[in-house]
Amino acid sequence: MKQMIDNAIATLENCRFCLMCRHVAPVGMVTNQEALTPHGMALLVTSQPRGLVAWNAETVGIVFSEVDGGNSRAHCATDQPFEEAMAAARAELVAQGLASTAVTQLHAHLQQWQNPYQPQLPQPATGVAQVALFAGDEAAYLWPDTLPAVLKLLSAVGMEVVGVGHGRNNGLFAHSAGFPDLAAQLWQATLDELASVGAKQLLLLSAGDYYAFNGRRGGFSRPVSASARVSPADFIEVTDLLAERLAAGEIAFRKTEDETPWAYVDPTHAVRVPERHERVRGLVTAVMPTPPRELFWRKDRAQPVGSTYIQFSNPPLAERLTRARLQDARDSGAQLLLCEDPATLHHLNRYAGEYGLRVQGLYELLAERVSSEQ
Amino acid sequence: MIRSELEEVVGEEYISTRESDRLVYATDWFWLPQMWLDRGAQPTLPDFIVHPGTAVEIAEILKIANTYRIPVVPWGGGSGSQGGAAPVFGGIMLDVKRLNRILEIDETSLTVTAEAGINGSVLEWALNEKGLTLPHYAASANCATLGGYLAPRGSGTISTKYGKAEDMVLRMEIVLPTGEIIRTPHVPDHAGGPDYFHLFLGSEGTFGVITEATMQVDYLPEARLLRAVLFQNLGHALEAGRQLMTRRLSPFVIRLYDPASTATQVKKVLGYEMDGAYMVMGFDGDPDIAALQEQKSLEICLGLGGQDLGREPGEKWWDHRYHFYYPPNGLHFPWMYGTTETVTTFDKLEKLYWAQKRAVEETYADWNVNYIGHFSHWFHWGASLYSRFIIPEPPQEAEEAIRLHNRIWDTAITAVLANGGIINEHHGVGLKLSRFMRRQYGPAWPMLERIKKSLDPNGIMNPGKVGF
Repeated sequence: MKQMIDNAIATLENCRFCLMCRHVAPVGMVTNQEALTPHGMALLVTSQPRGLVAWNAETVGIVFSEVDGGNSRAHCATDQPFEEAMAAARAELVAQGLASTAVTQLHAHLQQWQNPYQPQLPQPATGVAQVALFAGDEAAYLWPDTLPAVLKLLSAVGMEVVGVGHGRNNGLFAHSAGFPDLAAQLWQATLDELASVGAKQLLLLSAGDYYAFNGRRGGFSRPVSASARVSPADFIEVTDLLAERLAAGEIAFRKTEDETPWAYVDPTHAVRVPERHERVRGLVTAVMPTPPRELFWRKDRAQPVGSTYIQFSNPPLAERLTRARLQDARDSGAQLLLCEDPATLHHLNRYAGEYGLRVQGLYELLAERVSSEQ
Repeated sequence: MIRSELEEVVGEEYISTRESDRLVYATDWFWLPQMWLDRGAQPTLPDFIVHPGTAVEIAEILKIANTYRIPVVPWGGGSGSQGGAAPVFGGIMLDVKRLNRILEIDETSLTVTAEAGINGSVLEWALNEKGLTLPHYAASANCATLGGYLAPRGSGTISTKYGKAEDMVLRMEIVLPTGEIIRTPHVPDHAGGPDYFHLFLGSEGTFGVITEATMQVDYLPEARLLRAVLFQNLGHALEAGRQLMTRRLSPFVIRLYDPASTATQVKKVLGYEMDGAYMVMGFDGDPDIAALQEQKSLEICLGLGGQDLGREPGEKWWDHRYHFYYPPNGLHFPWMYGTTETVTTFDKLEKLYWAQKRAVEETYADWNVNYIGHFSHWFHWGASLYSRFIIPEPPQEAEEAIRLHNRIWDTAITAVLANGGIINEHHGVGLKLSRFMRRQYGPAWPMLERIKKSLDPNGIMNPGKVGF
């Protein structure tokens, strides 16, 4: 913990007077408040040891308003791990017992149920297979139509998979909220399950899941089980796999006849996986009959919805982030929003109607339109 | 009572007196308040942070401030290096970032009209979607606002061809200190009477609050050709730059590093180890025309003893041009530092450089001062010298550090004024250079004071800045 905090302080000492990522920093953008920019947050955290501010509900609340979507680091010229440093700062506050009741309750729920959404334990993995699919908690509880659709798509490309981590958080959520030990336990539990089913490859449903298991950047380290036989190259997003199979002619889709103006919404954490931006779009255009509208905040500047841990630590802010995405989508002229990430879909769907928008899961759409003739 | 009146204007959600907000708004990018915070001391804090959403709301806020004689400090991105947004007398911090809409992109006249609080990079992305660009490429674009480009008369990386921010603005909406909202004429270049328009450029919030601006934009260039040349003699390099400009070869950038910068900054950021003066030049637009301009320019450089380093070092510089300012490459604590940049005509430029360098290095040799400089914003008649002093181990005691800091500035600016320079080229005056305004303007200064008094009779607007 001490090393983590020392690294965090070193990073935040760099960030406290640097203003160079604020053009993409989600919370500062939606609130226009300096204290909620990366510079402001870093200045606040580094001012506490200097005796300029005290930890109290207000200042702790600011630290727990950093969204951890990856935007600052994605646009940092010198790759400062700002988000990871803020997560470490939150971990320190949690360790000192200074976190809010909401955060404490989140910790308790995650610890007991391994997910933040439902009082229900993960389903144990059964069976043996070369390939496993991390079902997670978001697909299980936030957008349950995802899993049957994905299984149908995988079947269409001849893949039989075993589900692991069904109902379990991917660990990133706990890591973001300042519970690194709990995050490690969650990761480990899934990796152990992976080993138990004998899988050598783990399929992931979203950019967030992919980042959680295969984050390649130094600041966000996670344990790798000695028993798991997967290497980093064996973590694959389902959208990537489908795009690859589509390109190889191993799967095909019938285009829909729905000419509703549409847009693809890059999900939360998409900026952390920049190579996915074009690949997933290739997949979507295989099934949509008209050219896409594009959100202004897309691809490498995509903003998160309120689907990270802040939906618990600061629900009004989470809502503002989601509404900002919906406003962006409406401004693009789209009426139909497509995305594959269960959490992003869930949050967009909560308010989409107020913006005259309809939200549809990409996996479900693809499963509906998969062609039986390949 | 004041808070409740402000709340009536903007709503409770858009006003803050929170401890954390007040601390964060206590400093812009000026070394002095940052040093204060670094040492664990608290600079002067604003009393209220207010986030207006319209020019009308700003007008109402200024009326309240006049009633109670409260200072008002406009705040955009907070990226100013001169202390222009430091709330040295407390009062109302007027954060204009909610005024962030693009109102119109005119693809016929090539103009964009936007609210002044829009972020520079966001505005640029929006223009890029239409194949356009606002050619004010400020290093601070990721954080600065449109109003912040204009208020201190900023220059961007490609100002050598496209001009300063003030050369791109056609029209502005301004809230005067007494609460009237005015709009300058539709275009700036006319013979329809005195030019009050430019009075607000460089006023840094002391004459009013810029709330909207129409800017000239350009098509994104078809080609950008960059090249680097190494000179062993700084004077020859300056002469090359002079000839490129006076012969109207239209480089969009000439960035000439002095030997000290070449040995330190260029090495650190670009990884090149070279002795001499490293110069990057760039040409853009039509590929054929740009290539010809580059060829003619290269001939001049070679004729003056320059060594052609080819395109890669120029392109690498372009790709990393802002990295000089990011941590850990940029200026940082515990150093003491300042950018003593200036501008003058070609006949005085080299002499000014040596005079300032000698004055700073000799006077503060005991402090192991580093003086580095580059020449970055070129005109048909001269260029800017972007000079910096760095003291790696300044005094630990804050008051003593400030005294040393101010002495170095006195030395640097005295050298500037004695050698035909202006106290600043593009960072503005702010708090830092406020005390030099009377020396720079001499008998003209009282006239500016009368204008200030007339526009802002109660002196509420950004007091202590720009000499007022």
